[in-house]
Amino acid sequence: MPVTAEITETLIRDYINRAVSDVFKTMLGRVPTFSAQEPLRGDEPLPSPEGHRPQVVGTVGFIGDINGLIYLHLDLGFARICTCHLLGMTEAELDEAGDEVINDAIGELTNMTVGGFKNGLCDAGYPCKLTIPSILRGSNFSIEPISSAVRHIYYFDCAEHRVVADILMKSDE
Amino acid sequence: MRYKVLTVDDSKTVRIIVKKAFKSFDCEILEAGNGVEGLAVAAKESPDLILLDVTMPVMDGVEMLTKLKSDVALKGIPVIMLTAEGGRDNVLKIAKIGVRDYLVKPFKEEVLLEKCGRVIDLKPINDAPTKAKSIFDPADILVVEDKPAIVAQIQDGLKHTPWKVRGVSTQGEAIDQCTRGIPDVVIVSLSLPDDAAFTLFRVIRTNIKTKYTPVFALVVKTETAPQQQAQTLGFTAIITKPIDLGELETKIAKAMNLDTSKRYFAMEQDCLVIRLPENCSPAVLAELAGYLKPKFAEAVDSGFNKVVIDIHQLRSLHMGVIKVLFQGMETCRDLGMKFGLVGNAHIISECKGFEDTRSWTFYESLEEAKAGVGRSSAAVPQLAGVA
Repeated sequence: MPVTAEITETLIRDYINRAVSDVFKTMLGRVPTFSAQEPLRGDEPLPSPEGHRPQVVGTVGFIGDINGLIYLHLDLGFARICTCHLLGMTEAELDEAGDEVINDAIGELTNMTVGGFKNGLCDAGYPCKLTIPSILRGSNFSIEPISSAVRHIYYFDCAEHRVVADILMKSDE
Repeated sequence: MRYKVLTVDDSKTVRIIVKKAFKSFDCEILEAGNGVEGLAVAAKESPDLILLDVTMPVMDGVEMLTKLKSDVALKGIPVIMLTAEGGRDNVLKIAKIGVRDYLVKPFKEEVLLEKCGRVIDLKPINDAPTKAKSIFDPADILVVEDKPAIVAQIQDGLKHTPWKVRGVSTQGEAIDQCTRGIPDVVIVSLSLPDDAAFTLFRVIRTNIKTKYTPVFALVVKTETAPQQQAQTLGFTAIITKPIDLGELETKIAKAMNLDTSKRYFAMEQDCLVIRLPENCSPAVLAELAGYLKPKFAEAVDSGFNKVVIDIHQLRSLHMGVIKVLFQGMETCRDLGMKFGLVGNAHIISECKGFEDTRSWTFYESLEEAKAGVGRSSAAVPQLAGVA
């Protein structure tokens, strides 16, 4: 039985920072920089992006001794760049392939990111498993969590684009 | 043998990345989107390797792996997990069911290939299998030798070729160079300190990209023990010091499977011209003899029926040369081609000294031969006495 470490804000920040960096460096050859952190109350919605730019948001959960959900927000332009890089496609080929391809690519990037994050939790003594990814698209929406969830939002700057990791966690008492 | 690799992942993105990674290798990539499909494809296609994700709808990877390992017909198929599920306990639990390796996403293509290369023998696809690379094409030769004089000697000896010869003095530099660009041939000195040559050889052979790169051992002629060790390990060729640069060039060309026929054969005007070099070593003659029939046949196929064998550069006549010349003449006779010889005074006089070549007649120049062959029989050697 592994010894459980206390899940502090520092631990969460370190895990998500490492997970986002690993995924973006390894899969996209880009180095994201940790930008800022906005602690929000559990029931507070994530501010909408400036000018309501179209967003692609990947979501993957983790369930087990600790439960939670991570939303990875990318603006559509960056989601397209990431997809082209991952699949070795041109913009024109991507247009032809359609949105489904972008959804799948961002879903997989989110899966890898949340995987990296939750593997840290597993090794800290909180065994949990990943859920299947889902995608949210739109330009004017807000995510409103239930009040009992602990929420952490982290911003990353990557190649003149912003990536937001919105973490909602609920630990089993 | 073309290997079949089955990728089982609900993400099409991952399946495409896997396909992309294997595209330059002789592999067929099969796909499945979940465990149920994965089992069905495995049963139908008997893949040589399965890359398996964990989190998937319908049937996850752990269940698929369990079912696979309990099926007598399928349990021998090696499985590499390729998944974002990477916590220590999860990995141990899955490893106990029986996997060959475990790769946690995110992953680099090189790492995936390296792990797969330990299970199946990944062979690169030749981009142009129908057209062999010629002796006149550029190539990259890496010499790993801590004695600059030897590197300089090789560079000087091969300067007439289009090959670029780079020299490095340590194993580390060699690995670095191989990472930057895969050389066509690596020549490594066995006298590098701490058995570095053998360590380097193992590194080259375990890297999926350099696995099939020819590696030559460079060693002093009298040092037989390291030569034997190199042969046992599987070095492509042994080059002994002092270096015979002609031999080195021939061995490099052979190792790269180069078309060297252009050294000797050319289609000029209405003739096939064969030029023998100044020094016809046994290696040169063997190479030349191997091209005779196909080159003559190619000439006939293209409508040429005249052959000029130009031996005016040859320094001396010996039995090896005579044998090849007879072989060429025989082939001409078989194909109904007319032929003539061009020689120098020394060679012509040497011909008089051999029973079999005494009756040979020669043109004085290539131009004269090209014009004369087919018109008169003055320069046609008699074939009496051909073995």
